[in-house]
Amino acid sequence: MSDHLLNDLSLFAPETAITLTLVAAILADLIFRRTPLVVAALVLAGFVVTGLLLLGQTGVNASIFTGMIAVDSFAVFFKTIVVLAGILVVVFSMESGELNSPGRKLGEYYALLCAAALGMMLMAGASNLLMMYIAIELSSLSSYLLSGYTREAPDSSEASLKYLIYGAVSSGLMLYGISLMYGLSGSLDLRAINRALPQVLSGGGAASFTLLIAGVLALAGFGYKISAVPFHFWTPDVYEGAPITITAFLSVASKAGGFAMMIRFFKVTFIDAGAVALPAGTWATLQGFHWVDLVAILAVLSMTIGNLVAVWQNNLKRLLAYSSIAHAGYMLTGVVVLSNQGLAAIMVYFGVYLFMNLGAFYCVMLIADKTGSEDIDEYKGIGGRSPFLAVALAVFLVSLTGLPPTAGFIGKLYLFAALINSGWTWLAIVAALNSVIALYYYVRVFRNMFLRTEEPSSPGITLSWLQNAALVVLLVPTLLLGLYFTPLVQLAQASVRLFGTP
Amino acid sequence: MITDFGRVLIFLIVGVVFVAGGLIVAWLLRPNRPYPSKLATYECGEVPVGDTRVRFNVRFYVVALIFLIFDVEVVFLFPWAVVYKNLGWFAFIEMLVFLGMLAVGYAYVWRKGDLDWDKPAPKVPRYEKGIGVQETRMTEEEIAV
Repeated sequence: MSDHLLNDLSLFAPETAITLTLVAAILADLIFRRTPLVVAALVLAGFVVTGLLLLGQTGVNASIFTGMIAVDSFAVFFKTIVVLAGILVVVFSMESGELNSPGRKLGEYYALLCAAALGMMLMAGASNLLMMYIAIELSSLSSYLLSGYTREAPDSSEASLKYLIYGAVSSGLMLYGISLMYGLSGSLDLRAINRALPQVLSGGGAASFTLLIAGVLALAGFGYKISAVPFHFWTPDVYEGAPITITAFLSVASKAGGFAMMIRFFKVTFIDAGAVALPAGTWATLQGFHWVDLVAILAVLSMTIGNLVAVWQNNLKRLLAYSSIAHAGYMLTGVVVLSNQGLAAIMVYFGVYLFMNLGAFYCVMLIADKTGSEDIDEYKGIGGRSPFLAVALAVFLVSLTGLPPTAGFIGKLYLFAALINSGWTWLAIVAALNSVIALYYYVRVFRNMFLRTEEPSSPGITLSWLQNAALVVLLVPTLLLGLYFTPLVQLAQASVRLFGTP
Repeated sequence: MITDFGRVLIFLIVGVVFVAGGLIVAWLLRPNRPYPSKLATYECGEVPVGDTRVRFNVRFYVVALIFLIFDVEVVFLFPWAVVYKNLGWFAFIEMLVFLGMLAVGYAYVWRKGDLDWDKPAPKVPRYEKGIGVQETRMTEEEIAV
């Protein structure tokens, strides 16, 4: 018994490391009250150690804690995304003017960041419905607090409250879906549910309909985490009101955790293990459960609504929020195709999305710290005053649009290729048209930065060496992965394996 | 043959009948003599003062949370103590880790002053977007004052 558990614990090392970091951060905050950088450095080191431990898990394919958590290359990939986002966000936070204003204590901030990251890592690995729910709640509760951390700002408190209310409703819906699943199949373990489902579905229309309801309700929980339409209403307000560092973290890490959990839930639970005559690397869903069409509709809605509403935004943070809804839509198309190629495409997309989206939010933060505004009209003439920052922001936005030679192009290319390969051509066309809309609203930012001048002109934005280094660290992969993308693609293709699926 | 959920249903029905039956019987038997004091809110025998919808001090909530630290601890300690003999050292260390985490929470609460009822009002940091670094400097009028 205990030998078994000890072995499981060794596979749980990254999560243990981040938990220890969390505890150490709380204690360090109590001891070193006057020097907040101690806590920041500690948490940064903790994230790095977690990342190193994750590297040691390459190629593992196991299930630990009596089937609660799966440790497979798929989970490790998404955990790595979460940890990288964590490292970068800690670096952002160290010199953020918004967070480091006089009188604010940041100990809890860093501790909660660890808790949120732990929740997201558990989301990537959870293979039991209860574990999934706990992981979602852990990451959500920490995120609610973090988004309201600058509590003297009214919009931050508003963001926190809205996030909490939407989160409570969607997690309630998801819990109801989970209870229906349990009632139908008699198990909470994803693979056991999968084994029980064929018999349930053969029972007739009522069972099949109940299962569809359960699937839709569970989708509400996932949709809320990845901010897909129609569960996206919290996104703009929370992204605008939360401290920018937290917005950046939520937009990448929270989405990665949500996607990983959603893909695992649908792929392990609803896969038809008995399906015959399928090309290699593709799979089929159980007969009588048409969730693929549902996800396709969500993808189209997310892309279109996200992009169309973004056109009208004047606040760059809000614009990026709608753009992140649209990106959730693009990534959902990779789920629709039901093939390993689609999964690999989502992972490639996340690999580049990490850098370009964090980069865009970082530039917004640096500019807002100095000019005090996130309004696009306030970006006039920044290209002339702070050329490096403006060019960096331009590169990130071009990459988010998906134009070559940036990494965003590669992400979109692989998604579209997966779509066309499996016959979803219309979906690929919708996605491509949406990219054109996206170009329009990003170009507005370029025009303000480079083609307009400010009257009267203000001094340029000077950056510290740490801020310059962080920008370069984000900028290089965004450009490099657009030209030399083979390693990322190979990594993604090697990481599509989920525990318990063929 | 009753299924598991059938028993739950029977339990629910019995519960409803028990409560409703008691109320109905009492309604049939009791004398009916209404006067205003009977409609007043019951506050342990005190005469109620003011409206019920008052703001509670948020510190009650914090106290309830602190109570959880100790309460949940005990809930987990009982089953642990029952199976302790079978599990041995592993369970011992596991419980130490668990208690250690709770102790960190306790230390946090203590150090932050939440165990004292009269906690000094927190200083809310002042940062307004658009003012940035200049916020820390005093304006000339402030210096003159």
